[in-house]
Amino acid sequence: MAEHHDEHGQHDAHDVNYKKIYFTLLGLLVVSVVGPFFGILWVTLVTAFGIAVVKATLVIQNFMHLRWEKRIMKWVLTTSVVLMALFMAGVSADVLNHEGNNWENIAAQAAVERGLAAMAGEVVVVEEEVEPVEAGFNPPSTFNLVCGSCHGAAGDGTGAAGLALNPRPANFTDPAFWATRDMARIVNVITNGAASVGGSPLMVGWSASFTPEQIQELADYVATFRPGA
Amino acid sequence: MAFAKPQATLRSATGIPTGRLAVWWLLASEVVIFGGVLGSYLMHRLGHPEWAEAASHTNTWIGAFNTLVLLTSSFTAVLAHQAAEKGDGKKAAGFLVLTMGGALTFLCVKSYEWTVEILEGFTIQSNTFWSFYYTAAGLHALHVIAGAIIMGIVAADAYRGRELQRVELIGIYWHFVDVVWIFLFPLLYIAK
Repeated sequence: MAEHHDEHGQHDAHDVNYKKIYFTLLGLLVVSVVGPFFGILWVTLVTAFGIAVVKATLVIQNFMHLRWEKRIMKWVLTTSVVLMALFMAGVSADVLNHEGNNWENIAAQAAVERGLAAMAGEVVVVEEEVEPVEAGFNPPSTFNLVCGSCHGAAGDGTGAAGLALNPRPANFTDPAFWATRDMARIVNVITNGAASVGGSPLMVGWSASFTPEQIQELADYVATFRPGA
Repeated sequence: MAFAKPQATLRSATGIPTGRLAVWWLLASEVVIFGGVLGSYLMHRLGHPEWAEAASHTNTWIGAFNTLVLLTSSFTAVLAHQAAEKGDGKKAAGFLVLTMGGALTFLCVKSYEWTVEILEGFTIQSNTFWSFYYTAAGLHALHVIAGAIIMGIVAADAYRGRELQRVELIGIYWHFVDVVWIFLFPLLYIAK
């Protein structure tokens, strides 16, 4: 690409045939719409996304005149794009995967399962109601993952996410807590949320995520924090 | 208006006119804003095969038509710049008005499209695909609206032969809005 520097930082008339660029862009638009009709994956990728890059480059170089711009500006813009790429590279492993060696994204797995079942339901026989995710459920680790962020892994209400909350998350190791609670109420709050008994709306209900049996197991686990239990 | 021109406006330490430097600088931050939304969308889309169902409800033809509208408005914006370079403010203003017509057409089509989709029950709360859809396209539409308003101010000045350098500046911004749509189009309308 021939660079042309002018001394005053002002553009002279650029040697661009804008009409030609415009019609090239329209031609590329047609290709990017027609390509995916073949239903072949690589053709779709090339025509939709490859051509988007070509179109964007044509606009940036010829309409925005970046090819004639001072080099510093190209570097500033490149820095933005590189930072973007870094961001994506940094988080993609956690977003694209729904499980790793030591973790599992239960909500994302459930969403995929529900969604795929709904899609299948449109074509094939209607599937049974989707079960909440059973995989990986066991009371201590689920408590740590789902409840511990506010209530603390030790159940003492000192989880990092709960420190700033008002009212404070319940402290299950406090005898005063148990003076006014029974199992039915704990099951109810886990199922329907604390707002259902006049408590904080930040303690949401979990009936969509766990079966009644699982909620009972969680409630039993909460009871193990009771002093003297 | 009777403001004295700030000194910075008349200076050009980088060799780039200050106004143009500011527009590029703005766009460098916009790259991160739109890149963040589109990058997050892309990663979630790849991780969620079930989004194909939601994506199949978007209307490719409407998306393609709006791409045509924006490409055309970019063309008229660059013609406005060309006219301004030749010192023809009236002609530049004319092309800017055409570009604003493109913005208006784009927004009308988008309003129609969203109305149909919302009436079909696809709202920003339906699921994560639709959340991304309305957020990304909505943020883009806000940029279209802002661009069209600024373009009106620049065109009014250019018509009187004033501040012709601004015709290029609003053009650079407008092409960027076009470039964002060039990527939004395949992401939201074609990848099904």
